[in-house]
Amino acid sequence: MSTRPPTLREKRRYLLVSVEPAGTPVNQKDLYYTIADATTSLWGDVMAAVVMPAVVAAEGRFVVIRCRRGTERELAIALSTITKCRDVRIALRLVAVSGTIESLRERIRTVKTPDTEDSVPSECTFKKTPVSITQCDGQKVDVIEKGFKNTNRLFLTREDLEEL
Amino acid sequence: MKITDACVCPYPCGDSSVRRMALEARNLGFDRLVAADTPPGEFFGIEVCTGIIIRDTPLKDLINRVKRERNSNAVVSVEAGDNGFNRAVISLKGVHIIRGIQSAEKNAFDHVAARMAADNRVAVDLDLSLLVSARGITRQRAMHRFRDALILEQRYEFPLTISSYAHSIMDMRAVREITGLCSLIGMDIPDVEKAFSGVDIITASSNPAVKVIL
Repeated sequence: MSTRPPTLREKRRYLLVSVEPAGTPVNQKDLYYTIADATTSLWGDVMAAVVMPAVVAAEGRFVVIRCRRGTERELAIALSTITKCRDVRIALRLVAVSGTIESLRERIRTVKTPDTEDSVPSECTFKKTPVSITQCDGQKVDVIEKGFKNTNRLFLTREDLEEL
Repeated sequence: MKITDACVCPYPCGDSSVRRMALEARNLGFDRLVAADTPPGEFFGIEVCTGIIIRDTPLKDLINRVKRERNSNAVVSVEAGDNGFNRAVISLKGVHIIRGIQSAEKNAFDHVAARMAADNRVAVDLDLSLLVSARGITRQRAMHRFRDALILEQRYEFPLTISSYAHSIMDMRAVREITGLCSLIGMDIPDVEKAFSGVDIITASSNPAVKVIL
């Protein structure tokens, strides 16, 4: 099948979203199903068919999602209702919307990389509980409680760790 | 006007410290947080107010609790119950917010309660956590309750507040996202802005401009 000329192609928009918490591995296919499910659940099959969401790229903690032009708002609202991807808790934060993937890639390149000069030790205590640090990005520090039980991920800042 | 999230639950109720929530709130466009059971403070330029949530408490105990908290600067929220309970709560001095109307009975917040809320400056909280996390009939019912409350709000003009009821930074949503979610229940941008500043209205001193002395 030959490709259509540009004037006959449907116009699309691309959303750049960041996946929280940082460092969460995201499978593009799982994320696509999660987004499709959220869109269908919120807007119904008819609107989901109009939006046509698709995950086109995943680079680090950023994901590029495609939709039909004019449906960015609907897709953005649907993205804000996503809380899990394959039983892994995530949140998608909308960073930018663009007409080309290239401009979003440029945007990803301009995003400041985490400052690693003033690093924190790999193990600390929080509220007298030993914790191991999994992610550190500026002031943000993600830790996991040590032990066999209650090994939850906690979201703290450097000050929280220094305090105790 | 300060853009306020009317209820977040930091550690130990949730998995994020109040500082981290404040940092996240700053990135998401908020100016102030009401944090449950957390001392007041300012972190990363975000004002954090103490919030007290009272739920599943008999009315007698609730009155005592509200009396105790009256002189503190905390924002007191009470979980909605049946219609009689809600009317009693709204008439209590010291209650700032009635929350959880999305989970209450259909007639729990009626036009009489709305009138009383407007007179006593008690805000009705729009807890968006169900819109975000729930699916299907639960979310539809929550939307219906919110739409019903908004109809009463347009008529009686009681204050509204918006909360994420976030127990984690991952439950927090950006101001723009919340505006989008509120558009699902028929709120336009000025309505959302007004609701974001609802905490300002309910915590402002209630000294009348004219005082009747005889």
